[in-house]
This record gives sequence, C-alpha cells and structure tokens, in this order.
Amino acid sequence: MGVSRRSDAGLGAGAGVLAGLVVGVVLAGQGRLDWTQPLRVDPPIVGWFAFLILNACGGALYGSLYRFQPGRLAATVGGGLLFGLLWWAGVWLTAIPLITATGPGWSVSEAARTFPLLIANVLTWGLAALVFHVTGSQVIGDRAMTGPVAATGVRIRHRVVIVGGGFGGVATAQRLEQLLSHRPDVAVTLISESNFLLFTPMLAGVASGSLVPRHVAAPLRATCPRTTIRRATVETVDTDARTVRIRSSNNTAAEEIPFDQLVLAVGAVPAFHGLSDVAGRAFTLKTLADATELRDHIIGLLDRAENEPAADVRSRLLTFAVAGGGFAGVELVAELHDLVHDVLVYHPRIERDELRFMLIHSRDRILPELSDRLGAYALELLRRRGIEFVLGVRVTGANGDGVSLSDGASISTETFVWTAGNEPAPLVGSFMSKGGNSVLATDENLRVDGFPDIWAVGDCARIPDSDRGGQPCPPTAQHALRQGHQAADNLVAAMDGRPLRPFRFRALGMLVVLGHNTAAAEIRGLRFSGLLAWFLWRGIYLAKLPGFEKKVRVLIDWLLDLVFPRDIVIAGSQDARRRGKGGPGGGLQEAVHDPVA
Amino acid sequence: MTPWPDVRRQIRQTLVPGSLAGLIGGIAFGAAMVELGVLPTVASLVRTDSPLIGFVIHMAIAAIVGSGLAILLQGRWTAGDVVLWGVAYGAFFWFLGPITMQPLILGRLPAWDLAAAQAAYPSLLGHIVWGAAAGFALVAIKARSAFVGTTTISDPEPPQARLVGVVLRGLVAGLLGFAAIGLLPAGSERMLSPWGADDAASLGPLAVALLGATLYAVLHPESTSTAGGAAVRGAGFGFILWVIGGLTLLPVLRGEGLTWSIMEARTTFPALPGTILFGAAMALIYHWLGRLTRLFFSDDVGTRSPDAGSWGPRAVGRGAAAGLVGGLLFTVVMVQIGFLPTVAKLVGSDSELVGLGVHLVIAEIVGVSYGVLFRRQAFEQSAAIGWGVSYGFLWWLLGPLTLGPVILGTTPAWTVEAAAAAFPSLIGHLAYGAGLGLTFHALEARYSPWWITRTEAEAARMARRRIEATSAGPALWALLVLVAVLLPVVLSP
Repeated sequence: MGVSRRSDAGLGAGAGVLAGLVVGVVLAGQGRLDWTQPLRVDPPIVGWFAFLILNACGGALYGSLYRFQPGRLAATVGGGLLFGLLWWAGVWLTAIPLITATGPGWSVSEAARTFPLLIANVLTWGLAALVFHVTGSQVIGDRAMTGPVAATGVRIRHRVVIVGGGFGGVATAQRLEQLLSHRPDVAVTLISESNFLLFTPMLAGVASGSLVPRHVAAPLRATCPRTTIRRATVETVDTDARTVRIRSSNNTAAEEIPFDQLVLAVGAVPAFHGLSDVAGRAFTLKTLADATELRDHIIGLLDRAENEPAADVRSRLLTFAVAGGGFAGVELVAELHDLVHDVLVYHPRIERDELRFMLIHSRDRILPELSDRLGAYALELLRRRGIEFVLGVRVTGANGDGVSLSDGASISTETFVWTAGNEPAPLVGSFMSKGGNSVLATDENLRVDGFPDIWAVGDCARIPDSDRGGQPCPPTAQHALRQGHQAADNLVAAMDGRPLRPFRFRALGMLVVLGHNTAAAEIRGLRFSGLLAWFLWRGIYLAKLPGFEKKVRVLIDWLLDLVFPRDIVIAGSQDARRRGKGGPGGGLQEAVHDPVA
Repeated sequence: MTPWPDVRRQIRQTLVPGSLAGLIGGIAFGAAMVELGVLPTVASLVRTDSPLIGFVIHMAIAAIVGSGLAILLQGRWTAGDVVLWGVAYGAFFWFLGPITMQPLILGRLPAWDLAAAQAAYPSLLGHIVWGAAAGFALVAIKARSAFVGTTTISDPEPPQARLVGVVLRGLVAGLLGFAAIGLLPAGSERMLSPWGADDAASLGPLAVALLGATLYAVLHPESTSTAGGAAVRGAGFGFILWVIGGLTLLPVLRGEGLTWSIMEARTTFPALPGTILFGAAMALIYHWLGRLTRLFFSDDVGTRSPDAGSWGPRAVGRGAAAGLVGGLLFTVVMVQIGFLPTVAKLVGSDSELVGLGVHLVIAEIVGVSYGVLFRRQAFEQSAAIGWGVSYGFLWWLLGPLTLGPVILGTTPAWTVEAAAAAFPSLIGHLAYGAGLGLTFHALEARYSPWWITRTEAEAARMARRRIEATSAGPALWALLVLVAVLLPVVLSP
C-alpha cells in the first residue's frame, strides 16, 4: 500500500489527468468532447476542462481503491483496464446521462453510441495505471507497505492482558479483537489455566452422561484466533511494576508478563465456609474434570453396589446427596436421578427402591432466584420423582461414611456433591491484600477501585448494578458476557482518551432444567414450565453455545439420546475423589453455573 | 555492482524470452492473417501492399509486444496465469494496436466507433490467439527457470504420478461439466452447434470438452484459489476455449477456414455462454476434486489449509448481507428498465412487488453463495470489486440468459439478440457484483481482517497466499468484463 490512501489518491488523480490529456487529444480530434452540450455549456474548452476534472476524480478513486503496490506492474495495469471498463459503464452510460437528464444509457444502442468512449476509457485507464505505477515507484518506492500484510515490524505501543478464560475473559478478548482488528500496535494476551471456554450451563449434562465433555467446551485459540493465548497459572499481580507473574507448569520457571491494561476475569471457586473436611471429601461441579469424574464415580458405584451383600454398605453406595438448592444443585440432582435410573437396566440386581437422591439446602425453599410459584413447582415435581429434600439445615461436616447436618442428623453416602456457594478465586485475595478485601470492587465503568488501568468482570468482581440501587450484579454468565464486552469498549476508550460508559444490563430471564424433558423458566416476567420450558432451555442454550461446530455436536448428542441408551463406559479413574479447590484446574475457575447465558 | 550486468540480465531474462514468445505467437496470428488475406493491410503501414513485407512487419510488432508481455510478467507465475495474462494482454492490445495506433501511423485519427470495431473484429480474435500462443510459448521457454511453477508446497509424489492424477481429475471434471451443460434443455445443441454437432450424442464436442478440461488441468495442476476463484478462472478459460477451439482450430481442422467474420461470429455466439458456463463448472468441479484428492490420497497433511476459528456461518451471514446491498443496487437498474414484472413471472405473477421480492431473494441466495465460494479470497478492495463483477457476469449468463428462460419453459437464450436485449441487465449484474464484493470485503475487514497478521510466520504465510490468490486475478477480471461489454455490442446486428 502507499504511505497513505490520500497520497495514493493524489497520485492516481495526477495519473488520470495525464492519461486524459493524451487520450483527450484523440477524443477532441474526433469531436467527442462536446458531452457538456446537453448542459447548455458551449465553449469546447469547458468540455475539455470537465473531462480532465472527471479524470482527476476517477484517478483519485482508482488510486484510493487500487493503491500503489511496488513490484506489481501487471496487477496495476490489469486493474486499470478493469477500472476503465467499469468507469465507462458507471460514468458514461449511467451517471452522465442521468445528470444530463437523458436517462441511463444501458441499452445496446446506447452502448454502441458511446462505443468510442469505451475504447477511450480502456486506453485512458490502462495508461493511467502504468503512469501511476511508474510514478509511485519513483516517489514512494520502498516506503510503501508491501500489501495488506504489514504487521511485522510494527512496534507494540500498548499491551492488554486478560486473566481468565471464562465467559467474562473471552467476551473481553473477542470484543477487543473486533475493536483492535486494524491496530496491530496493541497486543492482547489472554492467560488461562485451561485451553478452552467451558459452557458451564451444560456441565450437569456432562455429569449425567448425556453430553460428551469436549462438546461443551470451545477452544480458546479457535474462539479468539487473533489473541495471544498463554496457558499458565497466574501467581501474582504486581500493580507497581505492572506485571503478571505466570508459571506454565510446576517444572518451569516463572515468567513476568508486562501490561498497560489488565482485565481480571478469574471467576469464582467453591466456598466451603471453613469446613475443611467437606472440602476434602465433597465432589464439586466447576470443571469438565469434575463432571466426568462424578459420572465415572456414580457408574462405578453402581458396579460395586450390585455385588455388595451388606445392606448398609449398599445403602451408602446408592445414596446420592447434593448440597445447595440453587440452580446448580437442583439441576445436578435431577440429572443424576435421570442418569442412574436410565442405566439401572444394566444392573438387574439393584432395585429402584434402594436408590436415594437427596438435596440439602439451608433455606426453606429451593431456587430462590425464581418466583415462589416456579420454585414450588420444581420442588413438587422432583419430590414426585422420589428426590428427597432436606430443607432448613446446613452441612456441618463430612467423613468417609457420609455427611453430618446442623440438626444432628447424618446421611450415609459415598457421593456428596457441594454446590452451596462460591467465592472469588484465590488470586483476587492476594491481589486485594493491600486493600484487605476478598472481592474486586469496581466502579460502574468496570474499573477496579484505586487502579485506573485494571478492570474486573464476572464472578470475581463486585460491580454496582445501577438498576438495582447499586447492589452488586448477580454472578451469572449473561452478566459476565456483557461485562466483558463493556470492559473492552471502556478499555479502548480509555486508551483513546474518550469517555467511558457505565455498565447497564437487565437480566433477560432464568431457566432451570429439571431432568426428564422438564424445566422451569422465567423470561421477562413470563413463566414457563414443563416440556415447553425444556425446549426453551435447550434452544436458548444451544444458541448460546460458542462455536457452530459445538452446536452441531451437542445437537447430535441430544438427538442420539432419543434413540440410544446412555453410555456407561468409565473412561477415567473411578476411585479418584474430589479434593475441592486444590484439584486440577483449581485456582482460576470458570464462572459459576448460571441460569441463562 | 555496475548497472550493466543488471541490464544484461534484464535483457536475458525478459526481453529475449518475451520477443521469442511474441514471435511464436506472431506465427500463429500470422497464419490466420494469411488465411484472412489481411497482410497487405499491415504492409500499408510502410506504404506498400506486399504480403511478405506485411508479415515481416507483423512479426516485428509481435516480438516487441511480446517483450512487453515479458516485462509485465516479471516474477513468479504459474503456467495457467501466464497464458491468461497473455490472452488478456493480447485482447487489450487490440485497443492500442489496430484500433488506435494503426490509423495514427497511417496519418488518420482513430475512429473508435462501432463500425471500426466491427471491421477490426477478426483482428481482436487474432490478438487473443496471439496472446494464448505467446503465453504458452513463454511458459515453455522459461519452464526451466524459477519463472514458472506451481506455488504449492512440496509433494513427495513423483512428477509423473502427479501428472497422471492431474489429467485424470481434469477428465472427470470435463465430463461432469459437460454433463451439467447437457442437463439444460437444448443446452448441448446450443453449445455444440458451431462445433458441428447437430447431434448432441456426437463424440466430437465431448472430445473437445475433455481436451479443454485436460489442458486446463495441466495449466492449473494445483488449485490454490478458493472455489469461487476457480470458477471465475474456468469461465475465462471457457472463453479462450471458444475462441481457440470453437472459432479457430475446429473450423480449420474441418477444412472450413477461420470463422472470424462478424457474420460468422453471430452464428457461433450461441456457443459462447455455454462454453463459459462449462468452463466455470469444470473448473469448480476440478477444484473440489483436488480438495478431495488431497483429503483422501495425500500423505502431506500440510496441504490442508486450516483457518483458525469458526467460518461457515459467518461467511453465510456476510454473504447474505452483501447480497442484500448488491441487490438493492441492482433494484435501481431493475426499476429503470422495468424488469421486475419479468422477474415476477418466475413465480407465475405479474406484480412488480412480487418481482421485487423474488429479485431480493435471488440476490440473497447468490450473495450467500458468494460468501461460501469467495470467503477470504479478496485481500483488497480492488480484488473485491474484481471478483464481485466477475461473479456478477457469471450470474448474468446463468440467470437471465440460461435459467430464467428454462424456468419459464423455453430453452437458454444464448443468441446475440438475447444478449443484446439483456444488456441493461448485464449492467445491473455488474453493479450487483461490485456492491456484493465490496460489501463482503468490508464485513470481512471489519470483523476479521485475516490479512493483518501479528507474527512474522503468519505474515510470510499470508504473503504467499496473497500471491497465489491474486496472480492472474486482474487479467481475469478485465478479460471477463471486456467479453461481457464488448461482444454483445460489437456483434449485435
């Protein structure tokens, strides 16, 4: 390309005038520069002048469209010839007849009448292209960028680092890719422990075996193809030195990544409220590994239970307890119920009566985010299926035999899943140690308080919701997505010295799947339940799943479920127990399961 | 280094081969001139009417013009690109030579009118023949140097095996392309009539089609373009096939002489749309066969071209949006020429509103097809315009001249009269194509300017790809648009 489009346009205008002068002599000799006569402009010199002005305009257009490209004489001349043909059709057959009120000359007879101008235009613009190229070689020469591939050697003036590959982080990166697509001087890096974006709303489906794990995860490198992806654990953030210290694995040295702008989207991890034994014994549902391990564990228990003669041991093996009556816990217990009952046919020695599914919740009603009516509907529906609800009590401890509750009771189980609360990732705590807070408080523009170049989005941040009187935004994926988008806009605005815009978003609604073709939904005040809500859930989440390929794969998974039974192959180790926050992928976790993306 | 070795090297690398190629092309053109008896006209440049002197002058001009071709084509080109550039160069030199310079040398102002163009029509065909012959000659002369070659990465398969595979693919593509044209009512007869095939079952035209397809395959052993680029390239090749095969070689082989007069051109015109569409179909099938071959039979996994990130739905969406913009531009033309009721007839209506709806639906469908076929093809706005107008021209052939009449229950309208009557629609299709190409490019540029790279490795890959994608593009676009606007005008009674 030329040094600027304007200079190419100027060069083109000059070439157009020069070529017009040469060809114009012939046209004038043929008496064909009288085209201004219909405008009642008589002196021939005006026709000449207008012709050259027209050529200058055409040349400027040619130069700005075709640009000077060193070493590409053939392409330049070929482009000129094409331009000449199109210029004839566009100007002499269309624009000029319109201006002179004779109507567009698109018929063959009109084309025949203006045939000399066709030849003139081919010669003019072929010559103009040649002059353009030769002049450009002399005037611009090697200073021209060689075509549109010109990012190499560009000095990086600004570095943006995003920590966290969840909904918030990926949304920020994708939006920055759009905003900065033509600014190779801004480097964007995304640091994540995993190499994929996990679509957490479908995690329960993975745990129940109705979805293939890889199908609900989108590779970061495919989702953000123009962002530098670093797969590493972030150890610390040094706000004074403006660096992020990362480590790719336990065996490698730490590396300092500098930043000019930092976006923290580190999400949340399960909160065990000081119950270390629970943290050591409970399964969680935050990662793909959690979901597949839970599924493998349950199927393994069924294998063991079938051969277990002792009644009390069988009972412990076939009791499944979930703590937490929010969306994650309710969906999970319903999906696990479906899983076990669907595969029971392979275990003829296990009776249905032996199975127990229990949901432990500290409040008196489940699904507090939904209306009372829908919450009651869900409770009643799941109770009819045989799921037991232990409401108004808390879990106080866990050991090898089961869990103990605040009312003194205990539940004997080998499967205890914890979904009863989250807290910001540990990195937030270390980052905020100066301020003494465990959550990143931001202003309404998503800037972390006290740090003008640091932004926070998603579950790790406390972002005031102006629509709710400054209350923090709820930790949902739909919020995280929009926050990421807004953070990117504000970040670029800050770089360019433009005003920032506050984050404003009203939740679209909530959906919860209740297993076996039923769901409950509230969308903009409208309530849905049953099969219709289930279709809504599947349709909306399928649409929200990142990547067309993943949508197709999940759809195929669901269609196959209609025909084939669930797969009971145990692919991983069935003896592994969850270790809570310290397990693989722990530290920088994805956003908490949310009702609506 | 002194400039003298550079000049000598320039002369050795460009002027000498170019002159030689020009001379070889001149022999082919000269033979045609002898047949047409126009050598005295050339001799009149030096105020004589001796055919021998005319031939000598003609060969001298051919050598000089050939040098110009070689200067233009400095660098690395594929064989197919060289031939295409030769044809385009020859075609456009017709404007400069017989139409302009010849009258000037004879002391007259160039007429530039239609009568002069019609009188010089055989010379246009001669220049195209010259260009093709000079292109082939240049390929042969410089085949040993780095000038000509494929731009693909190395393939461990031996050259003979590659050639066999290429020829086979070409034959299959030619057969399927021929069959596709044969599906149209009377399509075969229309396309084949100038080749002496009143009987569509005759093997002669099939043999020509297969030969042409094989030649295309040998000139383009590896399709490095997109499917859309291949289709446009094939369309250009189809035009060359019509001139070289249908108008030149076949009549000569049958002993009928060249069919280069205006009258004969009008008679042979019906073969042109079919041959261009055959070329496009053949090239498209050849491209896909190449991809299938690489997918199933190539051990070199690096020949697959991965593009990070999801692409299909985005290309479809952008194509639809671009099709709408182009369609709206075209609507202006449609309204001006009162063509909407004709479009409405496709669904059995006369209403202008229905016609508008049908027109926009068609525009969307074509736009989506452009998005799928030309995704990531255009590196710049100029290329976007080029591919767009070429695609618009193809759809002018396929739409109003072919599928439209077929849907309305008649045969393809492949006559000069039909093409002349549909000339306003051609302007609309070119405008549609330009709008389509530019809009699609703008959408790609806005959301994923894949040509802006951030690493040196990416930049090198993009630079190679850009060369592959754009090498013969300007020649191809210019040639197709020239054919589009020139022939209906020149050949119309």
